[in-house]
Amino acid sequence: MFKSIMEWVDARLPISDLIKSQATEYPTPKNLNYWWNFGSLALFVLIIQLATGIFLVMHYKPDAALAFDSVEHIMRDVNWGWLLRYLHANGATFFFVVVYIHILRGMYYGSYRSPREILWWIGIIIFFLLMGTAFMGYVLPWGQMSYWGAAVITNLMSAVPLVGEDLVVWVWGGFAVGDPTLNRFFSLHYLLPFVVFGAVFVHLWALHAVHSNNPDGIDIDEHKDSLPFHPYFTVKDLYGVGVFLIIYCGFVFFAPNYFAEPDNYIEANPMQTPAHIVPEWYFLPFYAILRSIDFLGSFSKLAGVLAMVGAIAILFVLPWLDRSPARSFRYRPLSRQLFWLFIIDCFILGWVGYNPADATVFGGMPIVFVGRAATLVYFGYFFLLWLITAFDIEKPKPTPTSI
Amino acid sequence: MKSWNGLKRWGGWLAAAITAVGLGLPPASALASGGVAPPKQDWTFSGVFGRFDEASLKRGAQVAVEVCMSCHSIKYIKFDHLRSFGFSEAEVKAMAESQGKTKKDKMISGMDPQAAKDSFGTIPPDLSLMTKARKGYEDYTYGILTGYLNDKEKEMVEKIFADGNVLDPEIKEAAEALHLGHDLEKAKKSLERIHRGDNFNKYFPGNFLAMPQPISAGQVTFADGKESSLEQMAKDVTSFLAWAAEPTAMERKSAGVKVIAYLVLLTIMLYAVKRRVWSRIPH
Repeated sequence: MFKSIMEWVDARLPISDLIKSQATEYPTPKNLNYWWNFGSLALFVLIIQLATGIFLVMHYKPDAALAFDSVEHIMRDVNWGWLLRYLHANGATFFFVVVYIHILRGMYYGSYRSPREILWWIGIIIFFLLMGTAFMGYVLPWGQMSYWGAAVITNLMSAVPLVGEDLVVWVWGGFAVGDPTLNRFFSLHYLLPFVVFGAVFVHLWALHAVHSNNPDGIDIDEHKDSLPFHPYFTVKDLYGVGVFLIIYCGFVFFAPNYFAEPDNYIEANPMQTPAHIVPEWYFLPFYAILRSIDFLGSFSKLAGVLAMVGAIAILFVLPWLDRSPARSFRYRPLSRQLFWLFIIDCFILGWVGYNPADATVFGGMPIVFVGRAATLVYFGYFFLLWLITAFDIEKPKPTPTSI
Repeated sequence: MKSWNGLKRWGGWLAAAITAVGLGLPPASALASGGVAPPKQDWTFSGVFGRFDEASLKRGAQVAVEVCMSCHSIKYIKFDHLRSFGFSEAEVKAMAESQGKTKKDKMISGMDPQAAKDSFGTIPPDLSLMTKARKGYEDYTYGILTGYLNDKEKEMVEKIFADGNVLDPEIKEAAEALHLGHDLEKAKKSLERIHRGDNFNKYFPGNFLAMPQPISAGQVTFADGKESSLEQMAKDVTSFLAWAAEPTAMERKSAGVKVIAYLVLLTIMLYAVKRRVWSRIPH
């Protein structure tokens, strides 16, 4: 019965072929480690965000006078509303945890290298979209940090030469962050996830054209060294989802406000600036880079914005900066050291971004000095990676010929 | 050799870059200062298995209605809602009526916001989310309620100014007791403000606030006969406000225990299946 129905469908739309070639029998390197789980995990979190978001919208009101109350209405009166909201808010946090690991995995095993450049680019575009979506989503509860975070970040556009000031007014829909801003952010916050979804489709399309990289970073003999995706990687990914859900739900049910700023439980008040405006944790390293450029007088703002955007945009040229004959850092001792230095540096930048701009550390040293040094190290990673590979300073260990 | 020449060339650029990045330049902004963190308290409702103590919530609700609501609203809670932790309908009705309200009304203070602004200089904040909306959470709320000067401390401050001769050792002693920091000039200014009658609190950022000491020992007579010391009242009303900030919190935690137990079991099974499937592959 089912077979004959499928035959009828396949004669008209070859679904079975597609499932076979692109899912169940899709050849996957057999030596992938658990760092390769984070791609499918990211898709899983995207689906959680879409599913919870669609239901939250049924109760949320994108109106400056009602938004804050409607969030509390969701928390208190809507059946399981607290669960929807905490899943969604912590989902954003875990989306970034998963995506950062996914990106760093690509950086460590050289997944950006030829022939995967376009796959890598689409990933960076998804990351930019994700940041925009998360930023606008954070504005929607209309708490103090929503409001003032939006004010600080949108204000950065005033750094654009000539049209900056007009641009900010245009984005705000007024002369300050207000009701029109909230409305358009809501509209875009609903739209962008579907754009992300489309980009994820192209990301997978590009992946299925070139197939997965692997921990050895070598081209494999697919007949000998790959496994069908199902059941080997479906079950491995599902196990990863299980571990992920335990950690994620641990926060959702027992520490749902762990990553939140208390100030965002105060309703937005345009007349009262909070003592200390901090973005969400996942923006902190980039926020630190932005604030580290404060020594160029009137050009500081523009330079800071360029540095902040450049910190991510530089990933676009990473495939050409890295000229090593080996893809994977497994066989590249010097690159590996740089990589771990880069990771530590990202945490330092995060810590700098979390502190007030005028804080002092280590007995009186302004923290911005740390920020500047860490910014230099951040960009230094890309420069040094190019330097040691372009001039053969790094001598990679021999890579295996098969996995 | 090619690489060495490259290094030398780029070494110069690197030095230039370090200078350009401004590691040697002074920062654009100056320094600010903070306050004292409130001490940590034990809350019956903290942790995975922690739950509200209903007797404490009832006492806390009594303090909230009889004292806090003179100025503050708790706008996300209706009187009727208080039945969820053990009040009877008659008790809830009586509490609402004491505020000139019915049980279906929200817990809105009788004080006119403009009148509050005239007498205190600010509109008293709504308390519904207070324990979630400040760094330190419940410890902060408790800290504020108990962080005003006690009689001994008041006496100490008055003694400094009594003889018209303010001595450095006196300031030092008081600064230490009230956590005013090491800057004696600043400490002296703070002590003068206390002497003039400004509201001082050890745990409020910046120390001075619009709210005079809101509760003191014996201010309410608890329905359950518990002694109404300052600490007891502060603890109970903070517990009540923690409930008010998220009435679904305990429902969340008990659901969480089941969810995590289920997920752990599921994940163990998925791991077993994974092992089984992958055992076909020779390594």
